[in-house]
Amino acid sequence: MEEKTQKQPNPYLIPAAIVLAGLSVAAALYFSSSAPAQTAANTGDAKPAVAQQPQATGSTDAVRPVDETDHIKGDPNAPIKIVEYSDFECPFCKRFHVTMNEVMDKYGESGEVAWVYRQFPLEQLHPVKAQAEAVASECAAELGGNDAFWQFADRFFELTPSNNRTEIETVIPQIVREIGLDETAFNACFTSGKYDDHIEADIANAVETGGRGTPWSILIGPDGTTYPINGAQPLAAVEQIISIAKDGQ
Amino acid sequence: MYFKTLRQVLFQPFYLGLFLVVSFLVLSIAILLPSFGLLQILWQSSSVSLLEISSVVISLYGSLVTNFTVFSASYMVAISLLFGLQIALFTYYVKQLRSQTTNLTGVGASSVGGLVSGFFGIGCATCGTLLLTPFLALVGAAALLTWLPFGGEEFGLLGVALLLYANHIIVKKINAPLVCQT
Repeated sequence: MEEKTQKQPNPYLIPAAIVLAGLSVAAALYFSSSAPAQTAANTGDAKPAVAQQPQATGSTDAVRPVDETDHIKGDPNAPIKIVEYSDFECPFCKRFHVTMNEVMDKYGESGEVAWVYRQFPLEQLHPVKAQAEAVASECAAELGGNDAFWQFADRFFELTPSNNRTEIETVIPQIVREIGLDETAFNACFTSGKYDDHIEADIANAVETGGRGTPWSILIGPDGTTYPINGAQPLAAVEQIISIAKDGQ
Repeated sequence: MYFKTLRQVLFQPFYLGLFLVVSFLVLSIAILLPSFGLLQILWQSSSVSLLEISSVVISLYGSLVTNFTVFSASYMVAISLLFGLQIALFTYYVKQLRSQTTNLTGVGASSVGGLVSGFFGIGCATCGTLLLTPFLALVGAAALLTWLPFGGEEFGLLGVALLLYANHIIVKKINAPLVCQT
């Protein structure tokens, strides 16, 4: 009887497989910092617009300077500014909104930190609604000022379930009434399309700074150093970054 | 068979250590990946101490709660543990049964497939923050995410399934009798 000779197990198989897995992750990371972003151009239709944004450089230094056209909570002259690019339908933005309110409770009163909200509706993930909600928030700001914008944003995240499940036909009018805005003027603004370019500019800047998803935030330190905060990071992490930014001045 | 094999392997300090270290590393990569850019900036800054970087890293582990859904956090932990187990079992198998004839290509492919799929899954979970959305954009298929019923978290479950399969194979191999095949 002849013994069948089989191949020895290759001892390098699993190490090689692990290296391959690592390379796959590294490649994905590389692509995520160099590929054109896929955020949607928001033209009012529901079609996803792929790669219509400028090439992403991934540099947080490209963040547009904060000015009077921004929605700012806290002292506009605060030495530390956290610029958040957010999507009203993103569940992680809803979560991070709570975190940022906690940050402002702790650092806003003393004027140490200001929170800047910019629009980053992800049309592909949350078609139509995210864009409409971004427009609604801009109209709230137009009709009621900065405070109305933040009232709208706080209440919206409080009331809605995210992930494109919001009944915008009922929720938006409800919030508009609650914060005392002129409904007729609001509806005129909402359907005018006047904020499409503004939102488009916010999206373009988010992409330019390296934003690939939401929430995407950039902390600007007193000396102008920028720190990316990707996703809904916990309060403790945001506080650590604030502390480092303060020390670096 | 499974319980006996796991006890046989993981009751040995070396393999238990290997299991824990690999599991922790995989979970750490998943948690810290979104903050890679931040950590890179801190590392390159001369004014930020190693202690401060360590504090940031530790605080970022809290994002397992804030930056993942309960579902995605669960399968990411499962993937980390299964991958750690896979490495421990495989190392045990290679050391103990070095002379046994076998072909483990299927195991390797399943475990790597499980790991990569799992990472793609967590990418979907955070509003496009991580891997899958940019990757799909690269191949012009980002709209795929809106068609998937769980928004891409299917990849995480696929990862768990592949790793379970890989572990099943390796446990069977460990328990296979040492015989000369004719």
